[in-house]
Amino acid sequence: MTHEITSDNKNAKMKDDQAAALVVAQAFIVFSAIYWFTQIESVRELLQLAYG
Amino acid sequence: MNAVMLTSYPRTLTVVAVLLTLLMLAYGGAMDAVYPSLLGVFEWLETTWFGVIGKTWGAAFAFVEAVHLLGLALLGGCVLAGDGRLLGVVLTDVPVQTVVERTHRIFVFGLSICIATGIFMACGVATKIYYLPVYWFKMLALSAGMLFHFQIRRPLLGHDIQNLNPVVVKMVAVASMLVWFMVAATGRWIGFSG
Repeated sequence: MTHEITSDNKNAKMKDDQAAALVVAQAFIVFSAIYWFTQIESVRELLQLAYG
Repeated sequence: MNAVMLTSYPRTLTVVAVLLTLLMLAYGGAMDAVYPSLLGVFEWLETTWFGVIGKTWGAAFAFVEAVHLLGLALLGGCVLAGDGRLLGVVLTDVPVQTVVERTHRIFVFGLSICIATGIFMACGVATKIYYLPVYWFKMLALSAGMLFHFQIRRPLLGHDIQNLNPVVVKMVAVASMLVWFMVAATGRWIGFSG
């Protein structure tokens, strides 16, 4: 009985840790993609202004 | 249903709350309110021993910067090895748990070197970096990276990796590499700004 409760707790904790990791990882990946895209775009525009 | 959510997913809910709070702080003008009051702290940093040594003795600054870069290399190497193994790209003949455990120990050592030497370097150029937006962005990325490593990645990989969803593990590896790349890139950016 105690063993089952411990196992359930471990599973619940694993699910929670996975969900938290998924949320944060998604946020970081989306943010990084947008950030570096805008940085590359601004460099491209600057180069276009400088060299046509 | 809501009560079940609250008790079953405390870490996830905390993470969502932290992300929403950060968004509100970033776009709610909180930084603008705090920013002017920090100038005094940065001016004081330049008057400390570290600040005076860093400003007046170029060799000391260069030496500490070299150690800082070595620490960063150590940290970056651990991130690439650990996350590369999670992605199944490198060290595939070594068990995942072994690579993750060993790289974590060296990662902490590299991070400690970077923080210690970074504080010294910041003191030497404190009033310069105060006005650099990229410095604040680097501090944000560094905080996010440390929180991610110790509060998200480490607890997740403490479980048996074979039982974890492989998509989540791979996304964590990619996010980890991205956030430390951001820290390194913005760090070098400081050197080319101002």
